[in-house]
Amino acid sequence: MADASMADAVRIAGAMVGGGLALGGGAVGAAIGDGLAGSQTIAGVARQPEAQGRLTTIMFLTVGLCEAAYFINLAFTALFIFSLYKK
Amino acid sequence: MGVPEPVLAGLHIAALPLLASDISVGEHPQANWFGLTVDVDTVWATIIAGLVVVVLGLILRAKTTSGVPGKFQLVWEMGVGAVQKQVDESIGPRGAKVVPLALTLFVFIFTCNLFEVLGIGSRFEFLPAPTSDINLPLAMALYVFILVEVAAVKNRGGIGYLRHFVNQPFSLWLWPFNLFMNLVDEIIKPITLTLRLFGNLLAGGLMLSLLAALVIWKIGPVPLGGLLTVPLTLIWKLFDMAIGAIQAFIFALLTILYFDTAMAQEH
Repeated sequence: MADASMADAVRIAGAMVGGGLALGGGAVGAAIGDGLAGSQTIAGVARQPEAQGRLTTIMFLTVGLCEAAYFINLAFTALFIFSLYKK
Repeated sequence: MGVPEPVLAGLHIAALPLLASDISVGEHPQANWFGLTVDVDTVWATIIAGLVVVVLGLILRAKTTSGVPGKFQLVWEMGVGAVQKQVDESIGPRGAKVVPLALTLFVFIFTCNLFEVLGIGSRFEFLPAPTSDINLPLAMALYVFILVEVAAVKNRGGIGYLRHFVNQPFSLWLWPFNLFMNLVDEIIKPITLTLRLFGNLLAGGLMLSLLAALVIWKIGPVPLGGLLTVPLTLIWKLFDMAIGAIQAFIFALLTILYFDTAMAQEH
């Protein structure tokens, strides 16, 4: 993009870096949250194998809520990168 | 041009920005209806999803027997039973009005999310998932929020409702802090409901577009990107269906829980 001005370049670079930070932080948080949910499910099933059905349902619920934070970050990253690119 | 063109494993690096600008995010064909701008494909997809849910309900009503239930009726009974059990556990028998709302939200959102797996890439998309446009999740979340606040006012009375903003969780002397925390608590509910559902579906559609753009990758004469696209898209679409189901379930469950906190008898 040799014809982009300096201000455009800085804005696009800022969008990319900001988007990358958002994705990175979100991914770490989501992974840790999912891992904790999974580990407690495994511990619960190990104690009481007949509760596996109920515990798995609650685990998927928690996984969905943790991943929500990541996907909110992803939506904002998409906003930064794709709408700032167009300008 | 004495500078060699940057090439990485057959993919021209200079071509990368083209991919990003070819993928349009949040752009829908728009029209002007009664002076308002509408995203036409979202509206049509919503209408189709709504008709699907209504037709499923009508088929259920036609086929319901009090004798041995068929498979279709069994699936519906499992769904209704699960929602009713959840409502009974959290709100109790006063919450009978929440069950149809939660069930409809679950079935409708799940149907909308299934639109994601139709279409190939971003160019041959018949209809995108209507929940990947922010307007539909926002509308549903605002609707749920208004209903929850109305239920809270009916439960506590107007004065009690306003009072609960200032006299908890700390004592009345700290009322600005209480007010701030409770306002944030209330406003966060529709915002996160919207963004959670919207973000999940947007990410799904975006991933499909990116996987379709992989086709551009060629190492010599071998269309490596084209070969990789097919299994990756298949795996991602399966995963996306599971995510769609989980997010629909979470939306319905959070609706029930918000009604629970609104209708709680504390005193």
